This record gives sequence, structure tokens and C-alpha cells, in this order.
Amino acid sequence: MSLAARFALAGMVRAPGRTLVRVLVLAASVALLGGMLLFVGNSLRTVSGTAVRAVPLDLQGPVGSLAQATRVAGGIARQAGVLEAVPTATAALSSAEHNGPSGATRAGAGAVLAVPPGDGRHIRTFRFLRGSLKPGGVVLDQQMAATLQARVGDRVTLRVRPGARAVRLPVTGVALVSAADTLFQPLNPALGPAPAQPPANVAIMPLQTFARTLAPTARSLTPASVRSNAQPGAQDGVQWQVQAQLDPVPLSAGSPTAAFNAATRTKNRLERSVPGQVQFVDNLSDKLNTAAGDALYAETLYIMLAVPGALIALGLAYLAALGTVERDRRDLALLRARGSTRRHLLGLAGIESALLGLAAGLLGAGVALAAVELLVKGGAHLTAGRAAVTIAVCVLVAVAGAAAARLGASASVLRGRVADGRREGQRAGRPLWQRLYVDVACLAVSGLVYWLTARTGFSAVVNPDSNPTLSLSVYMFFAPALLWIGATLLLVRARGGALAWIARRAAGRRASTPAGFLLASAGRRGAAINRGLVVVGLLLAFGVNLGIFSATYDQQATVDAQLTLGADVTASAAPGVVAKRDLTARVAAVPGVTAATGVDHAYAYIGPDLQDTFGIDPATFPRATTLRDSYFLGATAQQAMARLRARPDGIIVSKETITDYSLKLGDLLRLRVLDRSTGHFRVVPFHVAGSVQEFPSAPKDSFMVANETHLGRVSHSGGPNVVFARTSGDPATVARRVAAATAGAGTQVQNITQQRQVTASAITTVDLTGISRIEEAFALVLAAAAMGLFVALGIAERRRELATMAALGAPLRDVGAFLWSEAALVLGTALVLAAGLGWLLSEMLVAMLQHVFDPPPDALAIPWGFLAALGGAAILATLIATALAARGLRRLPLGAILREQ
Amino acid sequence: MTATEPRTALAACGGLTVAYGSGEARVTALDQVSLALEPGDRLALLGPSGSGKTTVLHALGGLVAPTSGTVSWRGEPLASLDAAARRRTRAREIAYVFQGANLLPHFTAWENVAFALHASGAAARGGRDPGELLGLVGLAAKLDALPGELSGGEAQRVAIARALGQRPALLLCDEPTGHLDSDTGARVLDLIDALQAEFGFALVIATHDEQVAGRLARTLSLRDGQVVEEETR
Repeated sequence: MSLAARFALAGMVRAPGRTLVRVLVLAASVALLGGMLLFVGNSLRTVSGTAVRAVPLDLQGPVGSLAQATRVAGGIARQAGVLEAVPTATAALSSAEHNGPSGATRAGAGAVLAVPPGDGRHIRTFRFLRGSLKPGGVVLDQQMAATLQARVGDRVTLRVRPGARAVRLPVTGVALVSAADTLFQPLNPALGPAPAQPPANVAIMPLQTFARTLAPTARSLTPASVRSNAQPGAQDGVQWQVQAQLDPVPLSAGSPTAAFNAATRTKNRLERSVPGQVQFVDNLSDKLNTAAGDALYAETLYIMLAVPGALIALGLAYLAALGTVERDRRDLALLRARGSTRRHLLGLAGIESALLGLAAGLLGAGVALAAVELLVKGGAHLTAGRAAVTIAVCVLVAVAGAAAARLGASASVLRGRVADGRREGQRAGRPLWQRLYVDVACLAVSGLVYWLTARTGFSAVVNPDSNPTLSLSVYMFFAPALLWIGATLLLVRARGGALAWIARRAAGRRASTPAGFLLASAGRRGAAINRGLVVVGLLLAFGVNLGIFSATYDQQATVDAQLTLGADVTASAAPGVVAKRDLTARVAAVPGVTAATGVDHAYAYIGPDLQDTFGIDPATFPRATTLRDSYFLGATAQQAMARLRARPDGIIVSKETITDYSLKLGDLLRLRVLDRSTGHFRVVPFHVAGSVQEFPSAPKDSFMVANETHLGRVSHSGGPNVVFARTSGDPATVARRVAAATAGAGTQVQNITQQRQVTASAITTVDLTGISRIEEAFALVLAAAAMGLFVALGIAERRRELATMAALGAPLRDVGAFLWSEAALVLGTALVLAAGLGWLLSEMLVAMLQHVFDPPPDALAIPWGFLAALGGAAILATLIATALAARGLRRLPLGAILREQ
Repeated sequence: MTATEPRTALAACGGLTVAYGSGEARVTALDQVSLALEPGDRLALLGPSGSGKTTVLHALGGLVAPTSGTVSWRGEPLASLDAAARRRTRAREIAYVFQGANLLPHFTAWENVAFALHASGAAARGGRDPGELLGLVGLAAKLDALPGELSGGEAQRVAIARALGQRPALLLCDEPTGHLDSDTGARVLDLIDALQAEFGFALVIATHDEQVAGRLARTLSLRDGQVVEEETR
């Protein structure tokens, strides 16, 4: 072992406490980075998995005939990586009719889907609510069944085009078609996916039944003719096609980009396996392409949340290294006096950093793995490769961090001459960034980007088709990134000048009292206090920013999911069942349910438009779900409900309806409402009671809200068909109880937790809870460590000064006051700084999410519990550190310290 | 060497041994050192670096606990006092002038003296004004200068003024001219002599310089922690 290595090792062993602190601080910072690395890897796989699973139908290949579809599907199904490949067909439906006991009921234009028996094992475009697909029969979508008033066993008449031969078939089931926009899109492989406006009426038939009955009455589309049908909804013939679903497991193992590449390769291989016979419209790659963009956004978001914390944590390592400067100064002076060169000294620092970094890296990697395993739902999903990469990155970062902290802290010593070994190094002149005012420039550009983001909303681009996808610019992250950099540099530039000025003014010209001595000392230690303030203040700001952003993100994801689902828990039942079985009361009685209300989800025509119509009880509805003022136009939620309550025939309509029909408050509105007793639509007068743009469970396009009692009376619906419930506990648990309590009524129970998994954008499906927990835990630990280190560093740097005070006879209480008063000053100022900077950073990050969430957040969510814990941890650490410091002062070896030169 | 230890001695140590470390790393800094100081005594501790001069000063001031032997102040063993009582004794009666002055770096000259007055309780007992004390050592024009703005000699004079502020019965000076050129050193020693004559405290100066030692009435020569010679002039 070389002399330098022996010297480095001896130095570390000689001061085990100091070495341990440096290792622990470095380990904490690399653990934060390592944890983030593991979490981001997991999250990207989650995004891939979510995107892959969200695609109900991966590939659709148009072909010219049933025979060709059957042949190609057989060939595709045999290929590796294919879960299912089936021949299918879609066709336009011009009309449908059902002759019931109360007369004939007609449904307008729609579409037919023809699938082979057993289809749907892996292709999830519809699911049966009642009955099943049987040869010679037809399954109706629930909306079409409701319109036709048809039940299983009834017979319906279908016609593919006006004048074509009508086909009369028995209804063998009712289904919920969940991917109509994809199923009935025009198939043009050259153009790719173009999800279409879903048809209002959908019938599903066995492929052979369809081929025998309806197909002969319509013309067949060929791949060459699809261009004429490129307009969504324009299909006027039979589209034979091959539908295929790929194995999601291998696609979910990597990032969305990797999944996208793998899916594209698989599609190309499948097309080559049946050369010239089929070209696919690739819905999966389209979704993965969007997910890749979202993943990039998520990665940037994680980086914005975590990297500042990790970098500030490295600042802690710098603070810890500063504790060794005095020793370094003496050791290096000794070494230089014995002939060592600067190179030797740098080598010594390098070896010490490598040893520290190795220990800290291994420890940090272990902590990161444990943190992810413990704090992230699902754990770290560790493989040998991922573990090796995590450990390698942690060790490398730790070694680099140790070297940077060591060289940064000892730079003045290393630069100095032998004679300078006894003196404190002083920087000559201001660094370049200060002369160029980089800090001010960063803050100015940050403000500009934020202003542009807030003013123009350029942060998000929503594709203007019927299924909006989100595309976010990573450039908008410049605002918070530059704010971090600018604020840090500004604090460094200030060197505690303001604090020092205030302290000096408070102390007066010549201090002569205990308080005056403390203030005079603090007033002249601005740079040292500022060093603590920069690290502690920024760490706390990191914690505040993280806490507020995570809480707001979580709040909005919940609001988003609640808006989509309708309430924390919903229980749907067949018409009439809710009232007959008194389900609203039964749900309200379930433990964990704080309020419940019945909702009648119906349909009504306004002019030629069929719109979702919600019959609600305005008195109980706001208690059972969340109504935000931003949902309504020209009124608060409370006012809107009051208006509805005041007018039994009142109806709240969407903004588009108000515009399209030139309506205003109080106007008469004649709607065609389905009378379930007769099966006919009848005209019912309503009066406009307000305008709405969002409503729980309502679609994004037009809809209406009316009084449930009035709607039920005019439509003879038999009462609500959905129960909304607000919960006080875990929605999933309460949903299970609700399902058990209403099991006999055939209800379908959903909860907000599962809804959050299937929201439209992959961004909001990224669960920030895991990384938030990791970072919040680290923020607490690091904030406490920062304050502890600041006090410890105070003792290390001022031990000679403190020993002199003690030698002069100053009571230890008075000596200790010089430590705790500075700690209190740093902590107080840091808390104020953190509140301001953290809030500003959160505002910026949340402003960028205005377009991610529906509805956008009204205000930041403040996690008071976490913020109290964060401040409490810093205060507690300060108290413990000052108590330990007071004990340490009693044990100061005054004689030995005062002998030091 | 003296074995006498009158009960009325201001400060005394008998059979004083101070050792640092343990096992193979044990270093004996002082070995069976005895001495006694009367009020107004002028004693030089003479010896090369590492001979134990500073350790004797620290032991007399209660900054270092003896490994064996006794150190007493006005006849009372320091070991019998608790830490607070030792601190009070040190604050009220024993003052130091360190080799490197050891001024408090964030206090001005005036504040350094004022802090010592406050710490020793002298301020409460109606001690002299810091400005007046600094005037005594010729630094009336440097009251608001920080230690970093003072020369070595000026810093040492502030340290002397600080020590005087405590109104000590014993002034312990550790190489007070060690960092100074010979002219400045001589002026500092003249100042100490003049102040001792005025205030009447006992004076102990640790030095490796025989000329400095020669200015005092009595010299104890130390080598490797042992008293090797005692000379009285």
C-alpha cells in the first residue's frame, strides 16, 4: 500500500465518528438517487404494462373475404408472440326494429360486429352483461337494447342498408361494447389508426350467422376500397378483417419505447409470415408511441422531483467534508513540509474519496433497495442485472460525490502554500458566474417560461380527435429547473449578507451583553451561516415542493377518477332494481359509506341528438360525491343544485347545447324522452336551470342533468339505476362491502381506486405515491441530518474559539448559546425560505399539469401532516444536536485544543 | 527544583504527572513536577518544544487534569472542585495569554476584552472599561478592529488587555513572544512587566528563549517533562 493510501486510511480510522458521518451522509444522498433509479425503472415498466393492457384490440388487418380472413387468421395465430388471431367482420346497420307488447320500437343507424364463437378470450372489445353469443342469434349493446326495449329471447329485425332485405334474429344476449371507436374505425394501414365516433347502436353476431344472413345484402369492402371509407363513420359495406392480440408479457418488461419497437417488429414479422395477404392497422404501436411520450414526461417529472433533493444531499456531503478541513489543513501542511507535492495531496484526497465512496455507495444501494422494497407498492422487482446496475451507479456517484465534496471543501488548502497551512484560505475575486449574473438570468428566464406556460398554456398539446391524447413539452420544465439553479446561486452569492446585516444592526456598534455577543458573532459569520442556510433551506424547500406537488397530484388524480366514475364507489343495477330493493338505503348503511344517492342514467333526444341524461336528487347528490364550482357556468355548484331543487322540471344542459340552441336560463326545452312503459319516445317539456361543462360520471361531450323524481315520472323508468356513495375509508374495501350488501340485486360495483388505474392518460396512471414516499422519507432524514451536521460543523470549525471562551471562564451555557443561536437562526430562515421557494416550485410544476388533469386543480393541496413532520424533524434534530453539542462542550479537551497551532 | 509547598501558596503543584494516551502510545508530558507560587511571583518555565512548559501552565489553570499528583489553588486542591467551580476560579483569578493570542475571531478588539470581562464576571464586579484596558496596552485607536486586521504584536497586546480585564491573581503566558519579531517581543514583555508592577499579579511565562526567562526572578528549566534545574535571581 502506498504512503498516501496508508495516510488516507489512517486519517479515516483515527477519526471514526467523522468518517462515519461522511459515509452516512453520502450514503443517504446516493440512496435517494438509487431509489429514484429503481423507481423510474419500475414506473416505466408500469407505463408499458398499462399501455399494453389498455389496448383492447392490438392489430386489425383488412382483407377481401371471409375465406381470406379465415386463412390469414389461421396463419397469424400460429406465430410466436400472438395470443389470439381471429377472422371478423364489421358492417354498417341502417336500422333496427323490435316489436314488443307495446308496439314497434325503432333504433337508428348503427353497426354490426361479427365474431367467431369464443372470441374475446384475449380481445376485449366487449363483454356480456346477460346471455351469450349463439349461432343464429344476435347480441345487442346495452344502449341499443334499451332503445329497442329488447330483452333476451325477443326477436329484432336488422337491415344493413335502406331497401336491403331485413333479417329477423332472436336476441341471445346483452353486451357492453367498450371499444366501439376502435372496432368500427376505417381500416387503412397506410394511414394507421383513426378511432371513429362510436356508433350509437351496435349488434354482435356469430361470424357464420352474419355471413349467411346480413353479409349477402351488403357489398364487401376490399383493402383497395378502404380509402373511400377513410372518413370515420362512412363505412357502408362489410369490412372483413383479421383481428389479433399480442402477448403483453414480453412487451411489458421494458420501457414504452422498447415496447413500441418490439410491437412494431412483431407486426412486421406477422405481415411477412403471410406475404402479400394482409397489412395491419397497428393500434398497439399507436398507443405505445403516445405512452413513450408520456414516459418521457414522467421521467422528467421524476427527475424534477428527485434530482434537486439528491444534489442538495450531496451538498450535505460537502458540509460533512468541511468538518475535516481543519484537520486537513494541519495534515497537509505537515505533508508539504516533508516534501509532498500537490499531486501527492490530490492523490491522497482521491484515495480517501474512493474508500469513502465505496463504503457509502454500497450502503446507499442497500438503503435504496430496502426503501423501494418497503415503501413502493409491489416492491423493487429486482433482478441480478438491475441490482448490479443500481450498486454500480450508487458507488460511482458516491465516489464522485465524495471527491467533489472533499476537493471543494479543501480547495483552499490544496491551493495554498506550506505557510498558508495555518491560515484560512480566502477566495480572491468573484467567480465568473457571479460576474455574469447567471443567477439573476436563471431566475428571469424561469419567470418568463412560467409566465408563458401560465398565459399561453403551451405546456400541453391535446390531439384534436375524438380520443384526446396528451403530448407535453419537456421544455416547460425549464421554469422549475432554472428556479432551482437561480435560487441556489443567488443564495450562494448573498453569502448570508442580509442575515449578517440584520444581526449586526441588532447587536449595535459594540456588543457588551450576552445577546449582543451572539448577534455580533452571527453578524460576522454570514458566510458560514449561509452555507448552512443554503443546504438546510434548499432541502426543506425540496421537501415542501415535493409534499405539495405530490398531494396536489394525488388530489387531482382522485378528482379525475371520481369525475370519470361518478363517486368513490358506484353500484349499477338493472332498471327498477334500485328502488325495488331500496339499494340506496342499503348502500348508505354499509360501514365506511358516509352518504349515498340514487342516479337515473337515461338518454333523451334534444333535436336529433341523443344525449346522456342524469336524473339526480339535488339535495343528496352533493353529499354523496364531489361537485366543484368549476363544473358549472354562471353559478356555483350550490347555486346550480338550488336552482334544480327549486324547479322540478328544471334541467341543466351542457355549454354546447346552450350555444347550439341559443338557450338561456328559464327557456322552455322540449326533449324526447323514452317512456319505458310504452317503449316510445314522448315529448316532455323542461326548463333550462343552468349550464354545466363537467359532471360526475358524465361523458366529455354533451349531456343533461335533471331532477330524478321528475325524470322518473315522465319516463316511467322505475327510479335510479346507479347508486353513488362517498366513503370515509379505503374505497376498495368499502366497495367490497357494498358488493356483499347488494349481491342479491345483481349490482356491478366499481370503486375509485380501480378507476385510477384506467384513466385515459398514461401520465395520471403513473403512481407517484411510491417515489413520493421514498423522497418524503429521505427529505425528513436529510433535513434532520442537515441541521445536525450544521451544529456539528459549528463545533468542528469553532472548537478552538469555543475552547478559548471556556478557558476565559465563560459558562458552558453561554458557550453553547453560540451554537444553538446560529442553528435557530438557520432553521428559522430556512423554514421561511422553504415555504416560499417550495410553494413557488409547486405552483410551477402544478401549472404544467393544468392540461393533464380533468378538471384542472383549483388550488394547491397542502399536506399539513407531512409539512409538520418535515419542520418537526428539522427542529427535533436541532434540539438533539444542540443537546449533544452541549455535552460535547463539557468534554472538550481544552488543553489539547489550545495547544493546536 | 523545590519541594516546599507552603499552605499559603497562591498556586502549587506537587508530584504533578500528566500523561496522554495509553499502552504503547502513552506519552508522559510531565513527570513528578512540583512548584509553588506566591502572590507577585515572577516565574519562567524554560525549555525546548515538548519539554512540558505548556502542560504546566494548563495544569495550573485547571485546563488539564493531572494523571497523578496534586494542583492546588490557594491551598485547595483543584481536583476537589467540580467543573463549574474550577471554571469560576479560572475566570476570576487566572488569566492566560496564549502563544497565538487566541483572540475570538468574530469579535473586535473591544468586544474580545468585553467578552472576557463578561465571562469572568469582572464586568458585574465593576471592572474597567474595555476601551480603557486597550488604551493601557496602546491600542486606543484599534478598538473596533477585528483580529484579522491586527498585526501579531497588536493581537498579543489585545490578549494581554483581555487578561487584565479579568483582574487576575495569576497571569499565565505561553510563549507570548513566540510569533513576534524581537523588537515587538521586547515591547510586549516590557508591557507585561509594567502591568505586573501596576496590578501585582503573579506571573508565569513559558518560553524557550533564555533572554526572556532572564527577565524574571525565578526560572524552572524543563526537559522531557521533568524539572532539570531551578534558578533564582
